[in-house]
Amino acid sequence: MDPKLTEVSQIFERLKAALLRNDFDTASRLLSQLKILLIEFKSLPPLFAETPNAIQELTLARDIYEHAVVLSVKMEDQDAFERDFFQLKPYYTDVGGRLPQSAQEYPILGLNLLRLLVQNRIAEFHTELELLSAKALENPCIKHAVELEQSFMEGAYNRVLTARQTVPHETYVYFMDLLARTVRDEIAGCSEKAYESLRVEDARQILLLSSDQELFDYIKEEHPEWEVKNGWLVFNKVKESSASSKEIPSLQLINQTLSYARELERIV
Amino acid sequence: MTQDVEMKEQQVPAAPSNSTSSTTPLLQHLKEIAALIETGAYAREVRRILRAVRLTIALRRKLKASVISSFLGFALTPGSEAHQRLSSYLPKDDQNDMEVDTTSSATQSIMKHSPELEIYCYLLVLIFLIDQKKYSEAKACSSASIARLKNLNRRTVDVLASRLYFFYSLSYELTGDLSEIRGNLLALHRVATLRHDELGQETLLNLLLRNYLHYNLYDQAEKLRSKAPRFEAHSNQQFCRYLFYLGKIRTIQLEYTDAKESLLQAARKAPVAALGFRVQCNKWAVIVRLLLGEIPERTVFMQKGMEKALRPYFELTNAVRIGDLELFKTIAEKFSTTFSSDGTNNLIVRLRHNVIRTGLRNISISYSRISLADVAKKLRLDSSNPVADAESIVSKAIRDGAIDATLDHGNGWMVSKETGDIYSTNEPQQAFNSRIAFCLNMHNEAVRALRFPPNSHKEKESAEKRRERQQQEQELAKHIAEEDDDDDF
Repeated sequence: MDPKLTEVSQIFERLKAALLRNDFDTASRLLSQLKILLIEFKSLPPLFAETPNAIQELTLARDIYEHAVVLSVKMEDQDAFERDFFQLKPYYTDVGGRLPQSAQEYPILGLNLLRLLVQNRIAEFHTELELLSAKALENPCIKHAVELEQSFMEGAYNRVLTARQTVPHETYVYFMDLLARTVRDEIAGCSEKAYESLRVEDARQILLLSSDQELFDYIKEEHPEWEVKNGWLVFNKVKESSASSKEIPSLQLINQTLSYARELERIV
Repeated sequence: MTQDVEMKEQQVPAAPSNSTSSTTPLLQHLKEIAALIETGAYAREVRRILRAVRLTIALRRKLKASVISSFLGFALTPGSEAHQRLSSYLPKDDQNDMEVDTTSSATQSIMKHSPELEIYCYLLVLIFLIDQKKYSEAKACSSASIARLKNLNRRTVDVLASRLYFFYSLSYELTGDLSEIRGNLLALHRVATLRHDELGQETLLNLLLRNYLHYNLYDQAEKLRSKAPRFEAHSNQQFCRYLFYLGKIRTIQLEYTDAKESLLQAARKAPVAALGFRVQCNKWAVIVRLLLGEIPERTVFMQKGMEKALRPYFELTNAVRIGDLELFKTIAEKFSTTFSSDGTNNLIVRLRHNVIRTGLRNISISYSRISLADVAKKLRLDSSNPVADAESIVSKAIRDGAIDATLDHGNGWMVSKETGDIYSTNEPQQAFNSRIAFCLNMHNEAVRALRFPPNSHKEKESAEKRRERQQQEQELAKHIAEEDDDDDF
């Protein structure tokens, strides 16, 4: 076996051990060491040189990046997650045919979908989705994320929250918690428009908070314009545009009419 | 010359009906085209070469191995490298016929051939090979031609080169190796950009987009598209394709309004003969419009030659229009093979949300007050807690402005607001404005699209023609004057 390869796999074993112990400092230190070592392999992206050890090297590198992604989730670092995921992606797309499929592939892809959902990057979410095969879409990890997005779009927020209990993988919990926060903001935004007023306990239930105090804190922080009066929460709706709609937008009309005249002049 | 790939797949290649008797006029035709190319190359008139390509496409179905090999003997020096290589791609079944021709024409081809003619020969052989479904030979031939093209830097070759690029990509697509040539295409695009070969850039950009989209690499496609240089379109066909790819990318990235515009424009601009391409455009456009909450008119689905292909989409539209989730589900399942081969399956999943919205809107219009339990029942929401689901769905719909209503949590019902008189708002004014803007824009584009042959004003017109033209102008002037008079009254 190639000495470099042996060295990398030894450090990788230590990384795995550190991950198991949840010793994140050691793990991230080892990881950056590994990443530097990986640069020296010619068979990895973007060169894809055909070296004798190519398959071994590729498999090892893929394993390392998969662990890097998991590590970043455990450290709750979204930027690192994005970086590591993009480094990992070529191993699934470009050399996917040459390597045996990794057991971690679908959970990680699903995790990435979830991240995009949490960060509200829906366009990218759908772009990623297009890359998945019909078989991948059947996988529970991916299906989970896809169904979440659907419920989220429809507004069936309680379905999003019950999905937290059925996470297919333990790493998903972190993002699900983040998602719960996003969902609460969404619900608050919707309720503001949909209700005139709510009883405090109903509001607490709808916003999925456990105590009245939490509700009051939330209101103070996010929506200071809401009022609490004798057990009722009143949303002070801006009485929108009742006056302005009566007014004729004269300046705009003049501009439009003049532009019609100018264009007509050009035609005739 | 409508060469949309979708079209081509349906075409029956070269009917073998022509007997040997027709070879001679065909050869004559090819020779005329060759002469056209020669003069075009000599006078540096790209227009002539464009015409030569167009004429070739017209001859396409009649091409035969024997004719081509004798033409090669005429156009290229026999024994030269290009001649040998190209001849090796042609099938050798009609040996006798060929030899007679080559010997007779070899004597004529003493004249030195221009590089344009050589490239043209590549193109001709390539078209023939693709039509004969000899894809592996076509691949070899196209790769050889691309290698040859890299060493040529002449503006008169650009037209031929852009056609070659197209067939190069097509031959790889037909054998399913499109990803192999991606690097090559990118390199060619770079070279074309450096040489200011705009037609080449346009063609190559489209080929690259097609290449990416073939593998659903929307991200890369969009990155390339947004960074590649853009300019006034040179070829209508290429522009249509570009618009179609652009529409697809935007649909995936949820920019439905822009996507709709691109797709509809692509469908409108595409030549009538490119039926397959227009069907594709229409399929996507229908989905995008549904996603936007519009319901496409029935006439869209009744266009000539498209009824059958658009049938699944028609039924889908119907389900969305009614707002029936169950019907929507059965249709999505029934046609799932069609949808997945069109690559629209994921988009249809997105539509579920629109179905609910439409259903909700219908309910909101029909009832002034309805309990949430009934809403859930009517929408056929099947979940563990339908009332809570209905409540949050309704509240989101209210927030997004899809319905105008309020919720009453205590009583568990939804109260619709009175719909106001739309004519008291600025809505009609806005609709009026957008329509006028569309018409004016259309007019301006039409004026801009008028084309005049270069140098036409320099060419002398004959005395007779001039008289005719002057007479016409006078008549027109008189006509206008009369109209003006009428206006005065």
